[in-house]
Amino acid sequence: MAAGRDTYNRLSLGPSLNANVKEARVLMVGAGGIGCELLKNLALSGFGEIHIVDLDTIDLSNLNRQFLFRHEHIKKSKALVAKEAAEKFNPNVKIVAHHANIKDAQFHVGWFRSFKLVFNALDNLEARRHVNRMCLAADVPLIESGTTGFNGQVQVIKRGVTACYDCTAKETPKSFPVCTIRSTPSQPIHCIVWGKSYLLNEIFGTSEDQASLDVTEDQENASEIAELKREAEALRKIRESVGTEQFPQMLFDKVFNTDITRLRSMKDMWKSREPPTPLEYESLVAQASEQFASKDEIIKDGQRIWTLEENLVVFNDSLDRLSKRMLKLIAARSEGMPQPTISFDKDDDDTLDFVAASANLRSHIFGIEAKSRFDIKQMAGNIIPAIATTNAIVAGLSVLESFKVLRGEYDKAKEVFLTPFAPQRLLGTDRSRLPNPECPVCSVYYTSLEVDPSRAKLDDLVEDFVKLQLGYGEKEFAVSSDAGLVYDPDLTDNLDKNLNDLGIKQNSFVTIVDEDDDDTFVNVVVNIQEAKLSDKPIKGLEDGQAPVIPRKPKKTLPILSNGVNSANGKIRKHDGDGEAPRNDKKRSRPDDAGPSPSKKAKAAEDDIVVIDDDAGTGAIEILD
Amino acid sequence: MTEIVTSQTPPILHGPSEKEKKYDRQLRLWAASGQAALESANLLLVNSGAGTVGVETLKNLVLPGIGKFTIVDDAVVNEADLGVNFFLDDSCLGQLRSECCTKLLQELNPEVQGDWFPKERGTLDIRDILESSPTFTLIMYTHPIAKESLSIIESYASQHKTPVISIHSAGFYSYFRISLPGTFPIVDTHPEVDKTTDLRLLNPWPELVEFAQSMTKDIDALDELEHGHLPYVVILLYYLEEWRQSHNGQNPISYNDKTAFSKFVLSKARTNNPEGGEENFQEAAVAINKNVKAPELEPGVQELFNHQISDEIELQSSFWVIAKAIEAFYRKHGCLPLPGSLPDMKAQSSVYVKLQSIYKEKARRDAQEVLETARVITGGKGIDPAEVDLFCKNARFVKLINATSTSEDLDAIYEAESANDEAAEAMKVETEGAFTLPMSNFFIYLALVATGHNPASTADEIISWITNALRKAAGNERALQAAQEVARAGGGELHNISALTGGMVAQEMIKIITKQYIPIENTCIFDGISSRCQVLRL
Repeated sequence: MAAGRDTYNRLSLGPSLNANVKEARVLMVGAGGIGCELLKNLALSGFGEIHIVDLDTIDLSNLNRQFLFRHEHIKKSKALVAKEAAEKFNPNVKIVAHHANIKDAQFHVGWFRSFKLVFNALDNLEARRHVNRMCLAADVPLIESGTTGFNGQVQVIKRGVTACYDCTAKETPKSFPVCTIRSTPSQPIHCIVWGKSYLLNEIFGTSEDQASLDVTEDQENASEIAELKREAEALRKIRESVGTEQFPQMLFDKVFNTDITRLRSMKDMWKSREPPTPLEYESLVAQASEQFASKDEIIKDGQRIWTLEENLVVFNDSLDRLSKRMLKLIAARSEGMPQPTISFDKDDDDTLDFVAASANLRSHIFGIEAKSRFDIKQMAGNIIPAIATTNAIVAGLSVLESFKVLRGEYDKAKEVFLTPFAPQRLLGTDRSRLPNPECPVCSVYYTSLEVDPSRAKLDDLVEDFVKLQLGYGEKEFAVSSDAGLVYDPDLTDNLDKNLNDLGIKQNSFVTIVDEDDDDTFVNVVVNIQEAKLSDKPIKGLEDGQAPVIPRKPKKTLPILSNGVNSANGKIRKHDGDGEAPRNDKKRSRPDDAGPSPSKKAKAAEDDIVVIDDDAGTGAIEILD
Repeated sequence: MTEIVTSQTPPILHGPSEKEKKYDRQLRLWAASGQAALESANLLLVNSGAGTVGVETLKNLVLPGIGKFTIVDDAVVNEADLGVNFFLDDSCLGQLRSECCTKLLQELNPEVQGDWFPKERGTLDIRDILESSPTFTLIMYTHPIAKESLSIIESYASQHKTPVISIHSAGFYSYFRISLPGTFPIVDTHPEVDKTTDLRLLNPWPELVEFAQSMTKDIDALDELEHGHLPYVVILLYYLEEWRQSHNGQNPISYNDKTAFSKFVLSKARTNNPEGGEENFQEAAVAINKNVKAPELEPGVQELFNHQISDEIELQSSFWVIAKAIEAFYRKHGCLPLPGSLPDMKAQSSVYVKLQSIYKEKARRDAQEVLETARVITGGKGIDPAEVDLFCKNARFVKLINATSTSEDLDAIYEAESANDEAAEAMKVETEGAFTLPMSNFFIYLALVATGHNPASTADEIISWITNALRKAAGNERALQAAQEVARAGGGELHNISALTGGMVAQEMIKIITKQYIPIENTCIFDGISSRCQVLRL
């Protein structure tokens, strides 16, 4: 190693911490905005070995902040490109890149345990939760961070010592009742959701994929929902005509005329609302002859709000582009492969144009104000503003906290918030919160169990492991897998089944819930590892190593968390003049893909709404 | 007042160009106007010392697309540089640091121009560079810097009214200080959305009153849907009138009255429906606390109206002309121009749209009145209506930075900060460590300033500089600790601290260049040991 390279580090960190840092083997999950900064800081702080995991590839809109990437890297793996770029600047550091999903089986608890500490540099709730749980299970300290625009936050998570990511409730995604979206929209966002989650999906995507629609029926809307189902089926038939000359008019007539005329005929619905006015394709096309000629200029201008005619032009043009793509995909499809689909991506111009134009046409029909494509992109795409400066600050703070973790000084660990609206301070610090004793994720006892997949039955787990080794004895308890309940005193049918058949496999988590009211054990979470076993089909703890499982606190006890209100997921006041509590009622609400309690997208206008896009999270509520 | 100098024609963003896509995530923070200001900016970095913090700052400005930067730095790259500066690699050893950093920074964003000086080793002449370059928008320099260089920069800045930022990063500590050449007004302060609502419930204008009356003239006869969809603005206007009639014409302003009024409004909701209540009445009750209030000037606007301008040229700047027109509006009407936005509320679409247009129309008329007033003020002839609109929309939150001159009185600051530390100590003892107050970072600042020209100072030298500048600090324990920590760093930068500091500096520079959001006033001191910042006006 070249002499002098770490001159400054040795001076300031001191020889002991400097040596500690050099030996540290750390994991960084996410190589995006925070990740690029973090990797640079870790490399130049002299961390010995850095593993990077990121599933993502590089996009043009990353380049305003993710400085390890260049234009020529677009569509390449973030993890791999980041590794190559950073290695050049510090040849002494060992960087290992994984272009993979952190939830993959290869990244099991044992693998997490092989790191001295883990940095989260993620952009979504689901992955954050996963890493949080893995680090708790592996008992590896985690430094969690996140940014939104000028806001940011850093937090140290150490099992049993500080609060975990799930100690405070996180906001759940918003969804809309299906009737609001399909029949009675009153806001631009309703039409945007219609274009994105209904129309685009029915024509080009996986039909029935309606995660953001609430289809709960009740007495009042049952007949309307049945009608809507018939409508959707008719639309799916039109799908077969994709690419034909008549297709644009067929689709237009269907969704902007026939369906609207039917809706309009429902007199009851319009007693208190303006009824919608259907659009006539032919007359609109005739009206728009001039606009068709200047198609390219219109499509270029996404900041201005398009006129009705301009929306038609964009509708037809984007539909044409999508149809051609679809035909190509179908032609390229090999035998036995599923039907190809095109799904919404905010950075895919074809889908964005289509959703923007469709939404505006529908808004016109219902007398709702139109929006510019720029605004629609934000509303439909769940866009979180992101800039280099905030990432630089947050990544720097993460590394500072890591020094404390490496020294084992958790008492000095801080939760740090960027407070851009408190210009007298810029940063707010709180000492780390204590774990929430009611937290479903970290107030549990973690252990692991080896099972022989060919022989282990649920009965072995219940009788041998839970009752005997864990010491549940005669207690009443329930056992759940990731999929749901598999055993309780009234559910004994599964006892003879193989664990594998119950979905309990390598890397599965099994939760044991003590159902006694007195002297109640905290939940026990068991990490399953498959192994070839010679003796019994399961192998838990060594004999005589019976664990001391903590007891649940009595419900009446108040939650003590360092004098700070952590009861909800909102930003907490810190140092006296923190931000006002958020008002997230109705249609304006903070970001939900957000990483942290303090992360929130500022709603720039009244009606900017964030729609959760993750499939399967369509938790649904009826609002009206 | 500081006018940010920008080059002739700011580039305009076109359509969904590659560029707009690349900058999408930041355009959502500062819009095309902020981006245009960034792209017109011409920055100078006078780099010295370990040289990382300035380059990290530039990185954060090159990425979002600053127009042009110039690095002045006559250091030659050595091994220690490679360990702390990301924008240098092995091939740079023995070369000019300014040139190497410029080239690597430019790779980050091909749209940004970069230049460096000196072109050859040992030929640095800052005065010549400043004189021969196009006017700089903003200058930053890093410590330790030679005194002669500093005085050249200062005289240029005062001549050209250029904002200057000084930065010092050493070991776990850093600070940066912003010097603005005069009062710096910000119109587009981006207040938090929920603070910006102005519904004028206590002083509605005739069209609003008429609209509310037309909807409520027979309120009890409304059918269930109509009643359940009355916008809360209408509900409150109606019941405020009723309240005044039974309260000697007085509005419910006090806390007790508001609570009573809220109960009164809720009692008017119909409950003979399946929900057992009405959402719009709930909304109305919730809105009372924030929206039923007499017009009142924010401290920032008060300061704006009170501000004395001595400079004739400044007086005729469009900002002050509009400010005077707004003040005249306020004197005449007792309130600021209406911003015109209407929050989301339960209502029928057509009614909501109508109500929205009543607010927008009023805002338009107010802005028109301000424009007409402005046009007859000296210097106001060519005022841009768009500038007036923006000003009217943000009038409540306009902010003046650097409006008063800073005090040189270190003694007074010392008194305040050491009193703070004593209170913090007392709190710690009293609560046995359960509660702590942050300790002052002022001593860190002093210790860094002591080494501002000479990085190799010993702790003793630092202490003697501090006590020289500030007699009272003699023997102060915290000053001693800070001095020891700074001495330990030996003028070296920690990459991580410099990167973090560079993030904060660049953030404040973006605010100054775009004239959006409120920059700090004026010195930020960072302590990397406790991960804490303190902002002091020094």
